[in-house]
Parts: sequence; C-alpha cells; structure tokens
Amino acid sequence: MLKWMKTGSVKGTGLLLAIAVLLALAGCSSTQKAADSENTQGAGQTEGGNTKTITHEMGETEIEGTPKKIVALELSFVDSLNTLGIDAAGIADDEKKEMIAKLVGKETDYTSVGTREQPNLEVISSLQPDLIIADAERHKNVYEDLQKIAPTIVLKSRESTYQENLDAFSTIAQAVGKEEEAKTRLAEHEKTIEETKAKLKADPNATILPAVVRDTSFQAHTSSSYDGELLEHLGFKNAIQQEEPYAEMNLEQLVEIDPDILLLANNDGKLITDEWKNNPLWKNLKAVKNGQVYDVDRDLWTRFRGVASAEAIGADMLKMLGENK
Amino acid sequence: MRISEQTTLNKKRRPLVLLFILTGLLLLLSAVSLGVGAVYISPLDIIADLAGTGASSHAFILHEYRLPRLYIAMIAGAGLAIAGAVLQGILRNPLASPDVIGVTKGAGLAAVIVIVLFPESPVFWLPVSAFLGASAAAAALMLFAHKNGVKPATLALIGIALGAIFQAGIEYFMIKFPDDVNSTLLWLAGSLWGRGWEQVWMLLPSVPFAIALWLLSAKLDILNLGDDLATGLGQKTKQLRYVLLSLSVIIIGMCVAAIGSIGFIGLIAPHVARKLTGSRHKFLLPVSALIGALFLLGADSLGRGLFPPIEIPAGIVTAVIGAPYFLYLLRREGKKA
Repeated sequence: MLKWMKTGSVKGTGLLLAIAVLLALAGCSSTQKAADSENTQGAGQTEGGNTKTITHEMGETEIEGTPKKIVALELSFVDSLNTLGIDAAGIADDEKKEMIAKLVGKETDYTSVGTREQPNLEVISSLQPDLIIADAERHKNVYEDLQKIAPTIVLKSRESTYQENLDAFSTIAQAVGKEEEAKTRLAEHEKTIEETKAKLKADPNATILPAVVRDTSFQAHTSSSYDGELLEHLGFKNAIQQEEPYAEMNLEQLVEIDPDILLLANNDGKLITDEWKNNPLWKNLKAVKNGQVYDVDRDLWTRFRGVASAEAIGADMLKMLGENK
Repeated sequence: MRISEQTTLNKKRRPLVLLFILTGLLLLLSAVSLGVGAVYISPLDIIADLAGTGASSHAFILHEYRLPRLYIAMIAGAGLAIAGAVLQGILRNPLASPDVIGVTKGAGLAAVIVIVLFPESPVFWLPVSAFLGASAAAAALMLFAHKNGVKPATLALIGIALGAIFQAGIEYFMIKFPDDVNSTLLWLAGSLWGRGWEQVWMLLPSVPFAIALWLLSAKLDILNLGDDLATGLGQKTKQLRYVLLSLSVIIIGMCVAAIGSIGFIGLIAPHVARKLTGSRHKFLLPVSALIGALFLLGADSLGRGLFPPIEIPAGIVTAVIGAPYFLYLLRREGKKA
C-alpha cells in the first residue's frame, strides 16, 4: 500500500512538472511575441510617410504609403484591384486558378492563400503584404490576426448588395491611392450600365428571377440580392420584391410566382431541376413555354461581384436576350 | 508464486513506463507539428528560435500560429480525453462521450444560433455562447436525471434524448439559413484554424479542473464497482456523480468554446488508454490525457500538412480516423454481449 502511494505521488509531481514546463514555455514565447510585433511594426514603416486612415466595417485602419503587395480574401476584391490595374499578390482562390483567370481575364502570377472560408494565415504572413482586404462576414473572427500581419481593411463582399459593392470598390481605391481613377471608372461604369439598359429595353411588365440551382435546393435571388439588384439597375423587375436577399423555394412556389424570364446559375453535378423538368408544372411555366430560361455562369453571376463583373453580367444579358429595338 | 510476483511488478511499472513513452511521443510529435504546414520550418530553425539564439524569418509564423496551436491541441485534446474517461466511468458505459450526453450538441446549438441569428455580434460571443450552451445542456441533464437518483442508464438515455433535441435545432437553423451552412459546419466540425494565444488563455483555466478530476480518481474507481458496493463503502453516489459530471462539463465547455465541437477524442482516447493501462483511473486519466493530446495534435498537423495551403479542419480528421474505430468498438461490444 505504501509503495503504491509512492508511485502515485511520483507521477503526480511529474504531471505538475509537465504543466509548469508548459506554462513557462507559454510565458516565454508570449514575451517573444511582443518583441516580434514590434519588429514587424518597424518594418512596416515605408519611406513615403504619408499616412491615411481608412474607415471600414470593423473600424479604422492606418495605411502608410502606397500598398504594393496586396492580399485579397474575396473575389470581388480581386475584381476591384484588377479594375484599378493592380495584380493581387495573394488571393484566397479556393485553389481554383482557372476561376481567377476567368475573373481577371488573363493568367496572373499570384500566391494562393487557400480557401475564402479559411484563408491560410501562415501563407499570408509569409507573403509579407502591405495591405490585406478581408470580407466582413467570413473573416471577422481573424481580423485581429490579420491586423498583426499587415494593415487590414474589412469590407462587405459576400453579403453585399450591388451598391455596397461599388462602395467597397471606392474604399479599396482610397486604400491604394487611386481615388481619381476610381471616380472616372465608376462614372464609366454607370454609363455602361445605362447603355446596356437602353439596349436591353426590358418590358416593364415582365418579371425576372435569377436562382442558384443545387442538387437539393432551388434558391431564388430576390430584388435585394446582388444580382437581383443589378438586374433592377438594368431595367428588369425581380419577381420577388423583398428585403431578404435569398429565398429557398419548391416547384409549387415557383409556379405561383411564374416569372417571365428565368436565369439559372447551376451547380456542377446533379440538379433539382433535372427532376422538375419532367413535371407538367414546370412545362407550364411562362418562361419555359416562351423559351425564356437561360443558364448562366455561377462564378460570374453569384461569386465574382465587382465593377468589371457587373459589366460582364450586363454583356451576358445582351448576348442571351439580344438587343431590343 | 513467482508468476504472481511478476504480474504485480508489471502492473506497477508499466503505467509509469507507458506515461514516459507517451510523453516522449508527444514531444516528438510537437517538434514535427511545429515544422509542418503551408510554410515548412526546419528543425534547426525551430530550435534556434525557441532557444532565442537568432530569430529566423519564420519566427512570426512560429510564435503567432504554430506554438499557440500546439498548446491548444495539447490542452484541448487532453481535456476532452479526461472528460471522456470520467464520463465513461460515471455512466459505466464504454460508449459514453461528451457527444453522447448531449453537452457538445448543446454547445453546438448555442453557437449555431449566434452564427446564424446574430452575424453582427462581437467575436467573443461565440465561445461564450458555446460554453453557456454546454452548461445549459448539462444542467438540463442533471435536472431530468435527478428524480431517478442519477443512475448511469438514466443519464445516458436522457443525454441521448437531449442530444437529439439539440441536433434537431441545429438542423432546423441549417435548413432555414442555407447560406450560413459553411461557417456553421466548420464550427461544428471543430478546427484550430485562426486560433491563437487568446484561446490558449481561454483553455488554461481548465487545467485545475482536470487535476481535480485526477485527485478524485480513487472515488471513480469505487463508483465503478457499482452503486450498491460504492454506497456500502460510504460514498454518496448521487452527489459524487454530480461533482464529477460538473467538473467534466466545465472542461468540455471550455474546450468546445475554444475550438468548436470536435468529436471522437473524448470517446477514443479513453478507450485506447484503457487497453494500454487498465481501468484504474489514477493511471487511466493521465494516459487518456496524453493520448487525447497526441490525437488532436496529430489530427491538426495532418490537416495542415496534407494539402497546403488548404487546411482540413482537425475535427474532420478526427472523424475520419475516429468513425471506423467507433464502428470497430460497437462490433466488439456487441460480440461481448
């Protein structure tokens, strides 16, 4: 019995010792950490010296000089940078190089920093960027971590409306010191959209419904969604006018709404509409009867979101529906 | 006579040797883990950096990401494993785990509600709500089990029922808000991505609770003899179960708050430990802790190193390893019965 207790206490001390070592290590490295952050701050000071403060979704960020190496954590930020003539150094591209090539219209040299959902902080830090642009919804939990790597601005992309997206573009332009270019470009953009609208000359009584189709769901994009709002700007009345950007629906609900034009952004693989297409209800839809069902590119219509992408969507509409004289 | 002497000797020596070997393995895996990831850091750089004899260019990555994640994996892995071992002891059921008694699901439901309904909420809400969710689930469990004298079978059944209710809630929110499914699933799977020193400090308070459980290991042994014997030996079984359950739930709540509702560690680590060292809790708990730490650290390193720069959440790795083991367990338990 005595021996037994002895071994127990030896082991107990061992455990306590291990914890003590652990704590000591933690303490030691956190002092190291403080020294590190001072170092990075020192390195961040550029010769320019002109500091500007950018107000964004999670507060204010000071940016010194003109950022050259920029990491974009959402696709619309890549579009914005590209529109301003800047190649992002790092992109959260979900490991889809071809998607980025489609977005910027050419092969560019950048480092993938992983998925948009969980961008790889290690890779971002190893790029030593001057600016990080993050999404207000996806990346708010790592804002502090990103801020430690480089000045970070947080903007709406994933949950943005068309207008918010244009605002984000202006903020990015401000951050990279290209406000004038952005103003000109936005004026041009407005003109392009107006011209496209004039060419499309949508029937004011007709309704349109864009939707994302997956294997188990049909998600309508309402007047408050990004593409819905853009289509309104192009003169198309969304079949669902509401505050909520998305609405899941079944075939019966779709029949009740019965839009004149259906735009389907299809997922890869099996689709819920494959089954619907055999249903008499589907065949009775106005859009189906009049041949007004169009398949659109999911990346361009629902993922990219940006100044250039919006124009590309307009061009897409023209191509599909044709000029209306 | 000689044989029995040898077995007693073995029994005494083996746990210590085992603990020594496992600690060695953990140190080895820690070294590997610090080097593995989207950016490879050589062992020499790591040593130079930790010893302070020259900061490599990877110092930032090491101190900001790898070291805190190492500690988180160790503490959370150990914590979940100890809590799992204690739960299996309390319920006298080898298939009990933090998932089975509904505690992690309670945390999950609370977290999902915050993610889906309050997307604008400050960042710290998520861990706080997860902890509260776990506590609420445990409170409900004890409340319902109270009438029946907190018998093991009652606890398990009520836990499973509560878990099913919480799961239904989680699924309701996921179907209702399909756009948040990705972030919800990520949290539910459990991941060490984006976790840093903050989470280390969040987890450290769980250490004294784990030590408290270890100090109660003799009582756990008595509880394992069955209620009648335990009562005969002067234990108030009901109160004892409340105390042990509360301590475990506090640990589970902290772990889940820090890294999400990661599964299988609390189930599998105690099992492997029981195989290696028997069911005396004095040794079972520390061996479980070391195996849990090894399991989570291994899962995180694997998830980080497999397809860089994409990280596979540690919870998915533990599930991929854990699920087949669980099936094997079920089969074996079935055969025994």
